[in-house]
Amino acid sequence: MLLEQQADLPLGRGQRASLWLHLRYCPYCSRYAKQTVLIAEWARASASARASSGMVLSDAAKQRMRERLAAAE
Amino acid sequence: MTPSTPVPAQWPDRYGNELYRFALSRVSDADVAEELVQETFLSALDGLATFRAEASERTWLFVILRRKIIDHYRRQARVSHVGLDEISDGGPSEADYFAPENGHWTAQQAPVSWLNADAALEQQELHEILQRCQDRLPPQQAAVFALRFVEELSAEEICQELGLSSANYWVIVHRAKLQLRRCLEKHGLGKN
Repeated sequence: MLLEQQADLPLGRGQRASLWLHLRYCPYCSRYAKQTVLIAEWARASASARASSGMVLSDAAKQRMRERLAAAE
Repeated sequence: MTPSTPVPAQWPDRYGNELYRFALSRVSDADVAEELVQETFLSALDGLATFRAEASERTWLFVILRRKIIDHYRRQARVSHVGLDEISDGGPSEADYFAPENGHWTAQQAPVSWLNADAALEQQELHEILQRCQDRLPPQQAAVFALRFVEELSAEEICQELGLSSANYWVIVHRAKLQLRRCLEKHGLGKN
């Protein structure tokens, strides 16, 4: 979990050293450390790509919204 | 040209599609996205008196929508609120990933190399797979993951929004990432 924490909080010197040493000697953990960064980057990129897709509100939905707005005005 | 006084009746036509796409990029369910846009318009109408012409109408509506999305995640997380001891939500537990005797990765769950990862980012397919994997997360994990990595709220803000302790928060983030990694691999990432 130190891996996740370091993205949000500056780790103490001891924790940083401990994490570095752990990653140095644990190839799976080192691989996971890179993957966890990629997952975060992809999540942002993926949301951004969807936000610029061609999806549109249906005319019926827009009409419903206009009616709700008119009723609330 | 955008008029300086908002005209609510024109919002659905003028901003509806853009707000809907943004909402859909966050919640993936079309009905929920539509509902969020509608709530945005109604809240904007309620707060029309507070609208200041120096901010664009569009920006103002996006700020309201973003708040609605955060509220949506908060409701989603609260529906499935669990304590630290029961955080697995029926999903894989720590013991599935790490051997209890030494804390090392188990052979079945050890991360495989993602040699194709750089190219994958460009692929539409990856976005779809990631979305499906996010949708499969337990609701609380999905909400925390989205708030942190899509909405980019800080850990402190998320704990405040969702009423989580920081210890609980870190466990949830850790488990969400473990599950997403496993799900991505199941769907082909790392198989070259």
